[in-house]
Amino acid sequence: MVKKTLIIITLTILFALLVIGCPKKTVLKEGPSEKEAEELALERERAKRLEAERAEREKALQELEAKRTQALKELEAERERAKRLEAERAEREKALQELEAKRTQALKELEAQREQAKRLEAEKKALEELEAKRIQALKELEAERERAKRLEAERAERERALREKEEALKREFEKSLVASKTPGIEGEVFESSMLKDIHFDFDRYDIRPQDAEILKEIANLLKKFPSIKIQIEGHCDERGTNEYNLALGERRANSAKEYLTSLGISPERISTISYGEERPLDPSHNEEAWAKNRRAHFVILSK
Amino acid sequence: MLKKILIFNLFFSFLLITFSSGFARIYIDVNAPSFSPFPIILSKWKGIGKTPQAITDKVYEILANDLTLSGFFKVIPYQNLPSHLQNREGIPSTLFLNEWAIQEGDALLAGEVFLDSVNMILKLRFHLFDLVEKKHLVGKEYEGPLKAIRTIVHRVSDETILQLTGEAGVNNTKIAYVVTQGESKEIFISDFDGYNIKQLTQNQSINISPSWSPDGKKIAFTSYLKRNPDLYVIDLEGKNLQRLSFSQGLNASPSWSPDGKKIALMMGKEGKSDIYIIDADGSNPRKLTKGHGNEATPRWSPDGKWIAFVSDRSGSPQIYIMSQDGSQVRRLTFEGNYNTDPSWSPKGDRIAFCGLSSGRFEIFTIGVDGSGLRRLTSNSGNNEKPCWSPDGRYIAFSSTRTGASKIYIMNDNGLNQRPLTTSKGGETSPAWSRRFE
Repeated sequence: MVKKTLIIITLTILFALLVIGCPKKTVLKEGPSEKEAEELALERERAKRLEAERAEREKALQELEAKRTQALKELEAERERAKRLEAERAEREKALQELEAKRTQALKELEAQREQAKRLEAEKKALEELEAKRIQALKELEAERERAKRLEAERAERERALREKEEALKREFEKSLVASKTPGIEGEVFESSMLKDIHFDFDRYDIRPQDAEILKEIANLLKKFPSIKIQIEGHCDERGTNEYNLALGERRANSAKEYLTSLGISPERISTISYGEERPLDPSHNEEAWAKNRRAHFVILSK
Repeated sequence: MLKKILIFNLFFSFLLITFSSGFARIYIDVNAPSFSPFPIILSKWKGIGKTPQAITDKVYEILANDLTLSGFFKVIPYQNLPSHLQNREGIPSTLFLNEWAIQEGDALLAGEVFLDSVNMILKLRFHLFDLVEKKHLVGKEYEGPLKAIRTIVHRVSDETILQLTGEAGVNNTKIAYVVTQGESKEIFISDFDGYNIKQLTQNQSINISPSWSPDGKKIAFTSYLKRNPDLYVIDLEGKNLQRLSFSQGLNASPSWSPDGKKIALMMGKEGKSDIYIIDADGSNPRKLTKGHGNEATPRWSPDGKWIAFVSDRSGSPQIYIMSQDGSQVRRLTFEGNYNTDPSWSPKGDRIAFCGLSSGRFEIFTIGVDGSGLRRLTSNSGNNEKPCWSPDGRYIAFSSTRTGASKIYIMNDNGLNQRPLTTSKGGETSPAWSRRFE
């Protein structure tokens, strides 16, 4: 652009100079004598000189003109070139822009790809972690399975032992059963040494702490043999009067029953009977016999 | 037979008008605070015709025993009389009473025995004389089959007692009781004098708490026959056993209402003993007692309005009285911490019971208002289950004073305690019948 401006200014100056030189031609036509001829010869001389000068100038001008034309041409060419260049530049610019766009696009894509790669990488990593975890979990599972198997085996063993123990208990219990018939009292019952008596204080029917264990054992036995029905007999010693002792025996049997039902035994499985002082275990008349006779006794009504 | 006795009674009632001099007078006040036995001469009785001497002796023996057992008399047997009176048989004339009056006896009972050996009918004729005022008191004749010899003699005793005390004796009453036979307990009855023992139950079960129906025809009791203490009745022949009440748990200690329409008893329907009333056929049980106590031994008052019973609602067994509908409950006994076995006197004014005193069970009586507590037994074994005779002058009870439990009888003031029976196994739970005619 500066170049262009410079060219324009130069051309303008040159044109101005041309315009100023023109009026001197007219001035030359005046002055004809000797003097005048001399002058004229002078003049002619001068005119020749002038002419020469003018031709010179003309020639210079022409040269200038040529130069100018040349310059113009060059300018034009330059312009053309500039234009071309500009076009090329624009072209390039455009191409550049396109390129830029492409680059940006590519960058974007690249970025996206990177992102994706990153994501994929992360996914892969996560997957790997997952896999590791899975493997770990599998391992643990395996261990757990092993442990469960072991536990199961242990449990089975324990169960077997327990079953055996229960079988043994069952056999022991069955073995302990003794059928018992009492003359004048309907039906047959079974006595078992495993159903121990519990005892009471004189004129009392509350369960003594030391007898609670016996009742718990009886409750356990009843839970193991759910078909068994029992009868609890309430007994008293000979002291006190027969009929009040009937009431006391009733209460003793029911105390034991309540205790067993509180341990989860169905009351339907337990009946009670008070024998008062009418069926002493030991018929002697001393404190030892009395203590034995104040009791609740358990018999099996049906197996 | 009964007809014949009636006829004879009428006949002698007629004779009485001629024989009897004066009117009833009470010679023996049995309610007097201090009382000494009334001396009565029992002269030798005469056997009429071919009456075997053994029968005459038997009559005499029963009579002497009856009078002694009554507790009112000091019997002077003919063997203890001066030699000239020892063999004086038969009925003396009132004119010659002076000869008997030289003895210590205040009265003379003389008589004759005649056995109709064809019909085996026994006739007893007797006369009672007041030796102080030298007068004839009564003369009567009774008869019946020979096998009822004890009953016929008892009537003579009862009449004698009526003449001298103002109220007939209880010689023709029976006592039911429980006899232990090994592991079983059976119901027995015997006469007041311990004879005529009869076993009513023979089932080898535990049969307890006999109670006479007011008409004297049945006995209610508890038996374990069906593996539950159920209530039964049986007749005096040991027949017609009938199960009256059999709800699960106790059906025990029966007591008939005086009209015979209801029975009070202990029932264990609710896991503890309560007092119930049932109809005499066993139906319609009504619970009378409330609360958490053990309730035992209901006993009807003679007027049928009240029931005495045992309850430990206060913490120890005590005697209570309630109305027969279960209301108006009041505690009767406050002394001692174990009072059970109430029994209402026939007059309704006193209650006998068994109380623990100094480690032994003793028989007491107390007024129904809680006053006048009396101890009748002391320091000799355990004494339980008192029951009154129908005339209220005796109390039967069981006692272990000589080892195994036996039935004893005493006067209601505690005097004249004597065993009724002497079986080996042990006897408990006496119950006294009404008078049998």
